[in-house]
Amino acid sequence: MTQDVLLWCLVAIAVTAVAAVVALVLRSRALGRRKRESEAALEARLRYAQGELDRAQAALTTLRDEQDGVIREAEQAAEENTKSVLKGAARFLQSLAAEQTTLLDGVQREYGGHAVLSDLMDITHANAQMARKAQGIAVMCGAPLGRRNQPASVYDVVRSAQSQIRNFQRVEIMQPSGIALKASAVAPVALAVAELLDNAASFSQADAPIEVTFRQAQKNLCIVIDDAGVGMGDEDRQRASALLSGEGLPRLSQLGTQPKFGFPVIGLIARQHGFTVDVTGVSRYGGVRAVVLLPEELWTMEETLPPATEAPVSTIRPMETGRSARTAGGLPKRGSRISPTGVTTGGEQAPRRSARRGTGSLAALQRGTQSARDTASFDIPTPGGSENA
Amino acid sequence: MSDELDSELELTAPLVPLFVIAQGRALPRESEYEHTTIITAQDGAVAAARTLAPEARTVLDLIADGFLSVAEVAAHTRLPLGIVRILLAQMAEDGLIHVRNPVPHAERHDPVLLTAVLDGLMRIRTGA
Repeated sequence: MTQDVLLWCLVAIAVTAVAAVVALVLRSRALGRRKRESEAALEARLRYAQGELDRAQAALTTLRDEQDGVIREAEQAAEENTKSVLKGAARFLQSLAAEQTTLLDGVQREYGGHAVLSDLMDITHANAQMARKAQGIAVMCGAPLGRRNQPASVYDVVRSAQSQIRNFQRVEIMQPSGIALKASAVAPVALAVAELLDNAASFSQADAPIEVTFRQAQKNLCIVIDDAGVGMGDEDRQRASALLSGEGLPRLSQLGTQPKFGFPVIGLIARQHGFTVDVTGVSRYGGVRAVVLLPEELWTMEETLPPATEAPVSTIRPMETGRSARTAGGLPKRGSRISPTGVTTGGEQAPRRSARRGTGSLAALQRGTQSARDTASFDIPTPGGSENA
Repeated sequence: MSDELDSELELTAPLVPLFVIAQGRALPRESEYEHTTIITAQDGAVAAARTLAPEARTVLDLIADGFLSVAEVAAHTRLPLGIVRILLAQMAEDGLIHVRNPVPHAERHDPVLLTAVLDGLMRIRTGA
């Protein structure tokens, strides 16, 4: 009896358990379905939200691009405006400095026999430095450089560059034999070398020499500037090379309150006139070696164009018969000589001279004085005070 | 390169300014290298002149075989007198040139003293 009761109980429990299991399974299935449904719904909403977000982001990006564009345009316009304003001022300074240089040269030649010459030379030196800065600013603003219409020896071009820096006495120039720069290259190369010399002078000790030498490498002429300065780090070197390539020029507003536009100016004029400048070398004093590399289009051998100051000398030389009479004291005796007379050809450049045979030195002196008196113009150099001689 | 709005500026001043030719040296004293001071090149100076600047070489060529006065050198080279004097001073320092100064002006003496000396001399002559 109790066994039956137990059996029934067990059966009842088993039935209940099965029912419970079935109910649970059914419920979990329903739950799973509902979960999937809600997940799908959520996913759809998420996708929608994502879409919205993407759209919003895209709109933001275009807006930002537009803004950047507008800012860039505004900056460009501001740069152009600054440049055009500054260009006008720089050109004014540039031409005034050039005019002043010409005037000062005239005054120096007129009062050349006077003690005031020293002061005049100091003023000319200051003016030459100002002219260089004015040229630099003008170039940065896109104005053309001043032009020279006479070819010149590369030695004189470097001396011209030398005159444009403060401590010009530190520059030692090796004399090259017979190389001239074409007229179109004279002014740009002089300015580029001047900026390099200024750089060399600024970054080395005040008494250290700066050496300029010349080298011909294949069809190129190299002007090599060695300083005994501190040299440059890799980073500086890279930055300098980038600027000297003439690309990626800094904006005027990026130059800072103490603008250093030496390298940008060199880069610009080098690119405009077809030569290259490199400052990555190390000089033999451990400083910077700057090399200006001029392709053959910019220079010639000088034999074809006699330099203005030396030409007449060779024509004076064949004098007498070669015997040099000496006095008992060992001093040469004064004899008749074929003298040069200065005849200017009217150019405003360094006066070109042609030799004319004279009867004696005194006659030449008289003619020189006379011609200077006749031509009341300062570009004909009169040795000051020679009238009193 | 050239801007159509603004023409190129033409640089007309000599390429090498005088202060570079003078190499930044000061003028010699007034009494040195006067107009009439006579100069001539030392023997062998021309051969040693390879390293000179063109202007100094021109001067040396002019005076290589004879005498010239300072004023004449200035006239021939068409350089200002002061620049020539600076160049000459440097060349004299380098031992490239002979310099012969002009005969100095007679100094002014007291006429009373001169008369007294003359009188004394006369007395010696007459006394002898």
